[in-house]
Amino acid sequence: MCDYSGKLVAWMDRELPDNEAADVDRHVLACAECGRRIDAYEQVSASFVAYCDAAVGQKTPMPFKRRHWIPVLSAVAVAAAVLSLVFVPVSVKQIPIRSRAAEAAAAVVRETAPRPVKTVHRRRPVPRTKMANAGWTLAGPAVQIVIPAEAMFPPGAVPEGINFIAELDIADDGSAQGLRLQP
Amino acid sequence: MSGDSLPLVLPLSRFATDSCEATTLYRELRKPLLRYLVCLGLSSDEAQDVVQDAFLSLHKHLVSGGPQDNIRSWLFRVAHNRARNRQQSYDRRFGTQLDLDADSISQAATPEQVVLEKEKFRRLGKAIRLLTESERECLLLRASGLRYREIGEVLGISTSTVADTVDRAIKKLAEKCNV
Repeated sequence: MCDYSGKLVAWMDRELPDNEAADVDRHVLACAECGRRIDAYEQVSASFVAYCDAAVGQKTPMPFKRRHWIPVLSAVAVAAAVLSLVFVPVSVKQIPIRSRAAEAAAAVVRETAPRPVKTVHRRRPVPRTKMANAGWTLAGPAVQIVIPAEAMFPPGAVPEGINFIAELDIADDGSAQGLRLQP
Repeated sequence: MSGDSLPLVLPLSRFATDSCEATTLYRELRKPLLRYLVCLGLSSDEAQDVVQDAFLSLHKHLVSGGPQDNIRSWLFRVAHNRARNRQQSYDRRFGTQLDLDADSISQAATPEQVVLEKEKFRRLGKAIRLLTESERECLLLRASGLRYREIGEVLGISTSTVADTVDRAIKKLAEKCNV
């Protein structure tokens, strides 16, 4: 093996002192073996850098893949929104929800939609005169919720046995229009 | 790589006498740092975190009046140590660094070139795995453009040791790859 073989990589990297570098310069021009070695080392160095770049590129998410999914996800989202608008209201009207939670809530929540106010008072321990004085009528479906006074006021502030009725006005589109509290 | 979108905003003008010089420093060193860290085995997100931490440390270092010479090796050393700490805290090993699926490489123009390139990377990957940790790190830092003196500062070894390590690593790769 040539005596200069131990200096070739450092010479390639320009890390040798000037006098040694000049010596290797002259030698490389005359030594075919060192010339071949330098070619090989440069090739390996370049391949190593390319390998690093490929490894980095492999670990980094490819942007075009993300862009490829954007229209697909958008289409799915739009389709889901359209389907929910078309089918959900119908299914709510046709299929009554019967669950334990709904049945338990039915004890305190009663749907009184377009019924007259009078029928509501038959079920509530509320004086008819007070309802008449309220001066409001139901324009649409309403939900009445009986709330014990103890739940709203501190103990002793209200006589025992008094309940409040919260009436929630429901618009045709199902949204809440107003809330009234009646003792 | 996606490092282009690194959301790092630093008051660069404060930690350098010339803000243009500082911006140049950031632009010049961010990508090599990211590449070095990813090749060490960090994920892309982890590498971006470490680079951001390194530049914040640089900011504190310079604001507190630290020396401004060898900033490049200083940054690489901070990033290298942070990466080490992360990997030790996650109980991961550096043995996974520079792993590359050669089958995923398809940048060559013709099928023959694809096959040749895959085979070349497969052999190179096998040879890289045979290198010692120090040899791999020296080659990675060399591929990032650092001088032997700077590599020595990053890894805490002498310049002559770096020269020997790089020489040995290159010769191993050339021998294993039959170049």
